[in-house]
Amino acid sequence: MEPRGALRHARRLRLLATRVASAMNYVAGWVFILCAVFITTDVMLRNFVGVSSKATTEITGYMLAFGIAWGLAHALAMRAHIRVDVLVNRLPLQWRQFLHAAALAILTGIACFITWCAWGLVQESILFNARDTSALAIPLVIPQGLWAIGISMFAIMALVLLIEVACRLIAGDAAGIDELLGPRGYQEETEEALEAVGIAPTRTPPNPEGKP
Amino acid sequence: MIAIAFLLVVLVLAIVLASKGGAPSVPVGEILMLIGLFVTFFGTGVYIAAVLGSLALVAGFMFSDRPFWLFMGQVLWSPSSSFVLVAVPLFLLMGEILLRSGLSEQLYKALNVWLRRMPGGLLHTNIASCAVFSAISGSSVATAATMGSVALPYFDKTGYNQRMVLGSLAAGGALGNLIPPGITFILYGLMTETSVGKMYIAAIVPSILVCALFFLVIVVHGLRLPPAVKPPKASASEKLRSLVDLMPTMLLILLVLGTIYGGLATPTEAAALGAVGACVFALIAGKLSLKMLHASAESTARNTAMLGLILFGAYLLNFIMTQLRVPQAMAEYVSALPLPGWAIMLVIIGFYLALGTFMEGFSMIITTIPVVFPVVKALGYDPIWFGVIVTMLIEIAMISPPDGTVMYVLQGMRRTPGPITDVFSGVMPFVGVYMLAVLILTIFPELALFIVPK
Repeated sequence: MEPRGALRHARRLRLLATRVASAMNYVAGWVFILCAVFITTDVMLRNFVGVSSKATTEITGYMLAFGIAWGLAHALAMRAHIRVDVLVNRLPLQWRQFLHAAALAILTGIACFITWCAWGLVQESILFNARDTSALAIPLVIPQGLWAIGISMFAIMALVLLIEVACRLIAGDAAGIDELLGPRGYQEETEEALEAVGIAPTRTPPNPEGKP
Repeated sequence: MIAIAFLLVVLVLAIVLASKGGAPSVPVGEILMLIGLFVTFFGTGVYIAAVLGSLALVAGFMFSDRPFWLFMGQVLWSPSSSFVLVAVPLFLLMGEILLRSGLSEQLYKALNVWLRRMPGGLLHTNIASCAVFSAISGSSVATAATMGSVALPYFDKTGYNQRMVLGSLAAGGALGNLIPPGITFILYGLMTETSVGKMYIAAIVPSILVCALFFLVIVVHGLRLPPAVKPPKASASEKLRSLVDLMPTMLLILLVLGTIYGGLATPTEAAALGAVGACVFALIAGKLSLKMLHASAESTARNTAMLGLILFGAYLLNFIMTQLRVPQAMAEYVSALPLPGWAIMLVIIGFYLALGTFMEGFSMIITTIPVVFPVVKALGYDPIWFGVIVTMLIEIAMISPPDGTVMYVLQGMRRTPGPITDVFSGVMPFVGVYMLAVLILTIFPELALFIVPK
């Protein structure tokens, strides 16, 4: 069973990439938390003490670029990137798998193109030894390089997914493809929201009109 | 379906007008081809960012004779590192933390004490709590899910009309992006270089207008069908206690909006203050933990990346289109049409409503604004006013039957079985008055603009 063996490897590869992507996403999220603290501190210091980092705009901008880029792969693995799925969801599974595969293939192409663009920019910044105009004159290579690494991970994630989908197409596993790529339904989003709030979907009704 | 029919009508209209010779000639063939490509991509469920990106590449290679790909790195970098856009993850973060701080139930209970004696009773609480909650959470699905789960049990064994109950919950969630601070305004501001702070000011009167119209719908409903039992009058101490429960929310709103309106902070700085403030309130409520922050971080980063990718695609396409002078050509073409400005504005409004039946709000604004905005500007409309209108249209689209995730979420949560059409008919009066509000603002733009400092 050659295709089955290939699929097993592809799946293992994808799971590994998913784990890396998830870790990167957490880093991105914590950078945003840090960003909030940083800006708040800056605002406070500026208003009450009269000092400022003088590069807050630039640094937080880099934090954003970093955060976006490092979250991309995880969002893909979590099926969070947006597709117009009105038609796709109404098609039979047999057809859907090809549309999923095609969508992913196009996305992979774009991801590779964006990666190429990002590294091109990094190269340019190295070539001209570019620095920003803030008081700190930060070399642009640092934020742009980190940004490009995140985008590269996105392309890798897309590629790895594409390999697994190809294997599943050959193995005739339409349901598996749908599970990997199918857009998130509203049930999933509802569950996620409720889980975040800490409410179980069904609960005993409290008194109407709120009287104890 | 409505969307496709509408687009076809507009297309036919454009072709008829063009063939009459009243308008300057345009590359109809190329535009048709691009539209065809667009429709095919969307129909087949390709990722929106990938649609935009591939359109950019196709258009670039076909029509541009410059090595456009050499500039793409810079094109992608500029929105990535924009200080205006930093507000988006920070507002998302604030919402995620508040979502996990046990605020929703508190909010509902407290507002209930104040609103339940009005004609329509609890239904007002639905609108008010959804409006407040969605204003801080930013996601209408999360709002509908959370407020639905908190509110629906209160309606068990009461004589309230199920349709109105569900309709008011859906409608309340659709206020979130209009009531400042909304993320739609930040995206619009980023793409059109319009002041986000000024749009937040311009949104005040429209927000009040829509809320007032919603309350009016419920009052009319409540007067027509008065409840069998009048809810008990709240004692002074009960009212006082509910105020204490409302305090964190009110303080946070004051912190975020107060600093923006007072000119003390930019929207981005206010968002950072809000996120840190939310942490403080979560700490007071005893809900702040590493695990909770970790979950908020995950969700914030994922949603920011989701928006970021669409922005990437849109900026690629926008760059090519600007090089090819498409927006300018569109703007010139439309302003030369033998139609008055308001007619074109009506077409644009219809276009958004149609698009909204199948597209999610944020992607809609990122995808369309680069093309629509130059046209609107060429027609002489105010960019700030249009930002408010677009936001309202997106919100309407979100609760327009038959497509609208919010309504399906509520249908999935309802405790008495019934068809989905209950939700549809329940939300219709609210959609109606929301559209009325858009109409009023289109006729009297000054309603939104008079308080905006020049």
